[in-house]
Amino acid sequence: MTRPMRFLIRVGAMASKEVMHIRRDPRTLYMALAMPVVMLLIFGFGVSFDMDRIPLVVLDGDRSVASRSLVRAVSAGHEFVIAADSDEATALRMIRRGQALAGLAIPAGYQRELAAGRDGEIQLIVDGADGVVANQILSKIDGLVRAESLRRIDLAAEPPLQVKVFTLFNPEARSALFMVPGLAVYLLAIAAVLLTALTVSGEWERGSMEQLFASPVGRLEIVLGKLLPYLGLGMLQLLLVVAVGAMIFDVPIRGSATLLFLAGFLFLIGMLGQGLFISVVARNQLVATQAGALSSLLPSLLLSGMLVPIENMPRILQVLSSVVPARYFVHAMRGIMLKGSGLSILWGDLVALAIFALAIIALATARFRRRLA
Amino acid sequence: MAQAPAAATSGATLGFEPGAALEAQALVRRFGATQALDGLSFTVGRGQLFGLVGADGAGKTTAIRALAGLISLDSGRALVLGRDPAQGRAAVRESLGLMPQQASLYPDLSVGENLRFFARLYCLPRALFHERSSRLLEITRLGPFLDRRADALSGGMYKKLALACALLHRPEVLLLDEPTNGVDPVSRRELWALLHELVHDGMTVLLSTPYMDEAERCHRVGFIHHGRLLLAGEPRALLAGLDDETYEVEGGEREQVDERLANLAEVHAASPAGSTLRIAVARGSGGTVGAALKPLAASLRPVAPNFEDLFLARVRQEAA
Repeated sequence: MTRPMRFLIRVGAMASKEVMHIRRDPRTLYMALAMPVVMLLIFGFGVSFDMDRIPLVVLDGDRSVASRSLVRAVSAGHEFVIAADSDEATALRMIRRGQALAGLAIPAGYQRELAAGRDGEIQLIVDGADGVVANQILSKIDGLVRAESLRRIDLAAEPPLQVKVFTLFNPEARSALFMVPGLAVYLLAIAAVLLTALTVSGEWERGSMEQLFASPVGRLEIVLGKLLPYLGLGMLQLLLVVAVGAMIFDVPIRGSATLLFLAGFLFLIGMLGQGLFISVVARNQLVATQAGALSSLLPSLLLSGMLVPIENMPRILQVLSSVVPARYFVHAMRGIMLKGSGLSILWGDLVALAIFALAIIALATARFRRRLA
Repeated sequence: MAQAPAAATSGATLGFEPGAALEAQALVRRFGATQALDGLSFTVGRGQLFGLVGADGAGKTTAIRALAGLISLDSGRALVLGRDPAQGRAAVRESLGLMPQQASLYPDLSVGENLRFFARLYCLPRALFHERSSRLLEITRLGPFLDRRADALSGGMYKKLALACALLHRPEVLLLDEPTNGVDPVSRRELWALLHELVHDGMTVLLSTPYMDEAERCHRVGFIHHGRLLLAGEPRALLAGLDDETYEVEGGEREQVDERLANLAEVHAASPAGSTLRIAVARGSGGTVGAALKPLAASLRPVAPNFEDLFLARVRQEAA
């Protein structure tokens, strides 16, 4: 029997044993397949920066044609709903209780001032506890009020400057389009690292490592045998996540699906390899879980460009992010799904993912000590 | 496996005793404050059944792991068929079978699946696997439990499965770490019968045991204590070489007898055995001790020395 033949038989033995473990432990399957989908749904619906139907309390002290026209202008769209039309004390109470997020106060004499050609002053009270929400309310009100005032000076001789904006790729600025590819990467990263992080440490804890090391099976054979079944599971996971994104969040795949899965394949090898590396070093499932979660969760969340653009990060974090595989996969996913980017644009990401995958597998094998103590 | 052994690495055969299957050469290993191995040396000849006998914590498991190349040594050298197992060459491990003391199989895999997995690690062809596994299942009488998960096996059945997994590839050298510990007497007897059969067929077997009475079932025994070999040799020759005489004390008040014996320098050891008291006394002093016990209405009955007497005598000499 030739050496490559023996190598394949042993990798196959390790892999099929791993498949048996997976089939007998539904938790693994749940973690691999159900968890990312559930998380994607929760995050996809939950983490949305699109705000509409913001409860607004109106304090109309003028009760004139002009003031009613302004209130109509603000509440005509889907951005705001009038939660109440009331006095100041009620408005403040409602904001404090969270029944309204903002109050629009129109002072008495608003119409008179306008008619006299003076500045019509209105007041906006915003719940500033959440900066993101407050900013959105400010810009939305600002836009609506600006439109209303443009309408009022329609008669002016010189029309004001208008900017016409064409937004490419995500014209409605839907969060889901932007979030789902990033989320998919994040969830795949966590699941992949945790899957393998538990498997080698499991052999140590079970005591079976002693028997494995006494046999002729090599370290690379163990590493590859452990990697392959989870790679299959990971690809299935990627397929599920992309399908959920397309069907539930209407996220398109404008580019090549093959390219997307090729990038996913390289990314998964890297993440599974990272789990194996942790597992080889930790030798203990508890430590492996902690290290696995931290090392996948934080970088893929914060350094991947999924939430915060990498260009906005401090220099040191930018450098750090260059060794985070999620960064390249987020870029590739967004490129392929939203922009229809091809290999000519994304080859750099693929090369980076491949380098990480090879390096981490080599490292995991090298750090794999064939010693019990 | 019909594979030519890899060329011996230079130096690995230095000082190697021809005909020896296993050699421990002054093995030293410390774990923190514990000196697990403290210059342990012994040799096991080809085709021998060697018993490493010692109390818990004497260093038996560490010694076996060192021979299997599973731990690093502070100094000394372990050799399997003249090769260093720690070098990790596949040829050494192909010729080695190990049955660890602790659970080492896959609890969620069935008896059959565990066997098949280990057969594949050794690249056994399918036909050969079926032939050997059915033979092993027959001797171990695990056949009816082929589909039972390993974690649902009794202690004895589990040990037999572990042994079967270690035997599938027909190793030249078999290392067994406390194979009879936690096994019922019937299974224990079967296990010994199987080991004798394997040795009869030419296999070299090294096993460890905490049970002194198992020493006589081996060709050669080594008593290990605090990581060192106290004595080694053929069981009968060792017993014959015991310096003490052994007696059982009959009659008398136990407390008075104990007190009297404690004051006699000739008495080396006294251990209660059920209703009787077993003592070891210096050679030729049986009469003196008997006379000293007479006023207490107790008498001495000579009994054959056993390995426990031998072991305790050696430990005492070591301490002196």
